[in-house]
Amino acid sequence: MKNLLVLKETVKIIYSRYQVYIKPISKFILAFVALSILNGQLGYMETLNNVAIVLIVALMASFLPMNFSILAVVMFALSHFYAVGLESAAVGCIIFLMMLILYFRFTPKDTLVIMLLPICFVLKIPFVIPIAVGLLASPLSAFSVICATIGYYLVIHIQQNVTLLSATSETTMIDKFRLVVDGIAKNKAMFVTILAFTMMIIIVYLIRRLSIEHAWTIAIIAGGITGAIVILVADLVLDTKISIAATMIGSFISIGIAIVIKFFAFNVDYSRIEKVQFEDDEYYYYVKAIPKITVSRPQKQVHKINESKRVSKISE
Amino acid sequence: MIDVDRVRLMTRMASYEATDGKKNKAIASYFRSDYLALQTIKSILFGTIAYLFVLAIYIVYDLEVFMQDIYHIDLLVFGKDLIIKYLVYIIIYTLVAYAIYARRYSNARKSLRCYYNNLNKLSNYYDVMDEELK
Repeated sequence: MKNLLVLKETVKIIYSRYQVYIKPISKFILAFVALSILNGQLGYMETLNNVAIVLIVALMASFLPMNFSILAVVMFALSHFYAVGLESAAVGCIIFLMMLILYFRFTPKDTLVIMLLPICFVLKIPFVIPIAVGLLASPLSAFSVICATIGYYLVIHIQQNVTLLSATSETTMIDKFRLVVDGIAKNKAMFVTILAFTMMIIIVYLIRRLSIEHAWTIAIIAGGITGAIVILVADLVLDTKISIAATMIGSFISIGIAIVIKFFAFNVDYSRIEKVQFEDDEYYYYVKAIPKITVSRPQKQVHKINESKRVSKISE
Repeated sequence: MIDVDRVRLMTRMASYEATDGKKNKAIASYFRSDYLALQTIKSILFGTIAYLFVLAIYIVYDLEVFMQDIYHIDLLVFGKDLIIKYLVYIIIYTLVAYAIYARRYSNARKSLRCYYNNLNKLSNYYDVMDEELK
């Protein structure tokens, strides 16, 4: 355990020292991964399905505000929808607009949740996000989780029906439009997932605020179990065709990752390195405030001193 | 001579001003009733836009049936039904938004009160320093 705490301190020190570089680099990686996955899933617009363009957009995202990444992902998705067909783009545009309204009105700071959830879906560990949100944010962030879930299922639905949607003659415009809308409005798996995520966030949030011992760990496990149970019951009742084995394995891995998150986030002083400047009548102050480290790293201890040969020669 | 305690206080305050302070000051510059009224109006506006989007999707979805039946259906009943659904939805949406913004306002006031206390403390530091100089 002590080694882990030392590791945590080392990570904190590295982060606080190189925060200026780590932040843009992580933003770059996040945008790059999200856009690459999106191109991998859809990739119907040839122009955008190009590493150079993804790199340029990810570079822009690294120094622009976080919400730029979301807009970039939405624009990429809509462009691919447009390449599939006008109907997909129209429905996608309306759904994304509605979600952006909801997101920017209530939780405009949850960019990370929106960006990471689809990535976790692809990695088959989506439960990590609702548990982490319940631990670290407020239940309001459920809005962001719901938006990201709908967005992900829309992308998957378009991908699965691309042959029907891009067909030119056999299906009419209205039929295609209906097909896209049905992918959202009649998608049982999506509604079950939303229900499970929302319940997980509320349960994790409520339990971790209780004044009991190990509240965070209990909250994480309860959250993972809630998610698995909701999805399993819904699968029995509604026949949602969600894979039971994948859900179970995913929830176990998610609980594991959530425990790692807890280790780094719990009881940590959230204040990081801060650079501020101000002035009074006499001075300009350029202050760099660095948070104190609570556990000291082990110092090198000298156990045995070897006798120096040279000294012994002289003494002879 | 630099007063370490004072620099510490000023640093905390400057950091607050750069992050949450700016947003909270903007919120607290309104009276509570004005802020909530403004946010409620915004919520109704955006909620209505979202409703119109859904309505548009609904009509296009059933466009063929809708165009065939347009002379048979009682438009008055249809309109009344739409308006009742809209009212139920917008009332729930606005109530949720109101609760969220009321909480946001009280949180902003609370954290600003702490900031203003620190401001007073800082001004006391300078008063003490002036007296010492005299």
